[in-house]
Amino acid sequence: MTAVVVLLGLVVAVLALLVVGLLRSHAEILKRLHQLGAGLDPDEPGQPASPPPTPVTSREDFQVMPQVPSPPDREAFGGAADLVGVGPGGNESLSVRIQGVEHDTIVAFLSSGCITCQKFWDAFAKPRKLKLPSGTRLVIVTKGVDGESPSSVASLAPSTFPTVMSTQAFTDYDVPGSPYFVYVHGPSGRVRGEGTGPDWEQVSSLLSQATVDAGLTSSLEGQVVAKPDADAEREARIDRELFAAGVAPGDASLYAPDLTADEGADDGQDHAHDHGGDHTGHDHP
Amino acid sequence: MKLESHGIETDLPPGWEGRIGVRTQPTADTRAAGEVSAIGAAREVPHPIVHLANFALPEQRGDFGSGAVDLMGAEDVLVVLFEYGPECADTALFKRRGIPKNLTPSMFSSSALQRTLPGQAGCQIFFTEAGRAFCSYTVLGRQANALRVLPQANDTLSRTRIAPR
Repeated sequence: MTAVVVLLGLVVAVLALLVVGLLRSHAEILKRLHQLGAGLDPDEPGQPASPPPTPVTSREDFQVMPQVPSPPDREAFGGAADLVGVGPGGNESLSVRIQGVEHDTIVAFLSSGCITCQKFWDAFAKPRKLKLPSGTRLVIVTKGVDGESPSSVASLAPSTFPTVMSTQAFTDYDVPGSPYFVYVHGPSGRVRGEGTGPDWEQVSSLLSQATVDAGLTSSLEGQVVAKPDADAEREARIDRELFAAGVAPGDASLYAPDLTADEGADDGQDHAHDHGGDHTGHDHP
Repeated sequence: MKLESHGIETDLPPGWEGRIGVRTQPTADTRAAGEVSAIGAAREVPHPIVHLANFALPEQRGDFGSGAVDLMGAEDVLVVLFEYGPECADTALFKRRGIPKNLTPSMFSSSALQRTLPGQAGCQIFFTEAGRAFCSYTVLGRQANALRVLPQANDTLSRTRIAPR
């Protein structure tokens, strides 16, 4: 009888261990599922849902049509600059203001030789069919006389849009090849969109998207509470003076230097402007 | 922003753009026809023309700014430097020396405009610089704003140099 009781006790003990093990395993699974966000009610307040995993496409996986250039090897938009060069035919010296103007500008980088560019030259010869966004100026840029034939460019250049022959512009805008298009917001002088396509319809669609995005940004800016007149005037004056001094929007000098590299080396030093903010919106007495 | 061509050099202030060029010479056809065409008269020898503006210059422009003046706003200024033939230099009309760099509101009048447009005013000054004869023609988008915008035009003119041929 005693042996039976002992045996029964051992069986109960083993079963109890199994149940505890199963419960722990189940708890571990629930914990992992909770970390992944499963089983949460999105409408329930105070329950943060984890974002879905973002699909990653590497630059090597990204391919474009053979007749258009690949995107440049950089993450952000390139820079913008005013255009200076010679006119088609090489007989005229001209400058076109892109930054600090009221209108936006589409800069079309073309070549007289590439087959795809021919479609754009043809499209630009019929300005009414282009349907450019309102308040937008189209400027065509080819390489300078060192890389293009002035007479060839003159035979292609439309009479209604400025055509600037400037190799420097290709460098300034970091253009990967032609045809290539850059949309610049005039008042800020910042690039709002860039890219290319096999014809004007596709490029126009791309630029329209940039324009819509910009319009959305502007409408959101309109909801910002207005600053007092004195502040707004001071900001405008500072912007004008900076621009006149050659400091354009986005200039590196407007931002605090990255001190993480030499952190510790300057311990105890007094930094005159080391508060991490930019200086575009306020001045110091 | 520096521009240089045909012996004329300028360093444009912020907000300005410009063109320095020579209009296309009349072709053999237009010479033979003996008529005045869109690109000039027969036997005409085109000389350099400078267009400087604080607004976006259109491509279709006349020598004295027709096509551009139509687009001018109240704060806009157009400066034209039109060169004449070397035979004109130092003649009575061009006896003034040097580029005019001190334009004042009293120099401007709507009657000086090549094409009269409401609110606009112009100023025309003939001069000789470096042995070359020029006409300086300045148009204001709105005459009432002359005091405010003329310093810009004077600044631009003072940054402009003309070298001998």
